[in-house]
Amino acid sequence: MRHYENLVIVKPTLTAEEIQANISAIEEVITSNGGEIAARDAMGMRKLAYPLGKNERGYFHVIYYSVAPAAINEIERRFRINEDLLRFVTIKYDTNREVIAWNQLVQKAQKKATQPVSETKVEEVVIPAALEENDDEE
Amino acid sequence: MAERRKYKKRFCKYCEAKVDFMDYKDVGALRFSLSERYKIMPRRLTGNCKRHQDMIATVIKRARAAALVPYTVTRKTVVTAPFENLR
Repeated sequence: MRHYENLVIVKPTLTAEEIQANISAIEEVITSNGGEIAARDAMGMRKLAYPLGKNERGYFHVIYYSVAPAAINEIERRFRINEDLLRFVTIKYDTNREVIAWNQLVQKAQKKATQPVSETKVEEVVIPAALEENDDEE
Repeated sequence: MAERRKYKKRFCKYCEAKVDFMDYKDVGALRFSLSERYKIMPRRLTGNCKRHQDMIATVIKRARAAALVPYTVTRKTVVTAPFENLR
């Protein structure tokens, strides 16, 4: 078993329920290949730094998990088939230093998940407002 | 030779903060080593040590792949404040 982290960007055009269904499908791909999900971190809807397939925004979701290294090939193959995924980034945490960092990241993500919802609400309000301003400028 | 040095001796900010690992999702921390056009700043300007420069280079490349940081900024593809999410 080795520690991994996957960042997935889901299409912004889907509804909130579809996005959640997609993410649970993604997590199922990992668990069905023998992975153990340690933590998940929903970064939410964000503006992309550059357009991906004409999409300016995307729903970011990070999953921390551990699997046998051989399973990664299959997981990535399944991700490529999924058309609602704009992009995925798989990071390997191999050396001792990286494993320590992985544990810290997992703890951080778990803390964030248990915290009250009010914080995330504030972020959601701020981001659309900022985007609108930029659209006006263009 | 000493007269030629125009700037004071630079030091590695990451060594001072004792950074052991960088997270590519923490884009605000990468800003220091990125130029206005989102190029990776050279070591001679930032004063980073070799070890941390190698770390920041891989981390920035990961962030680029994850669409958190743009690859390039030209006049045609201007990115409007990509760090605005980080407040």
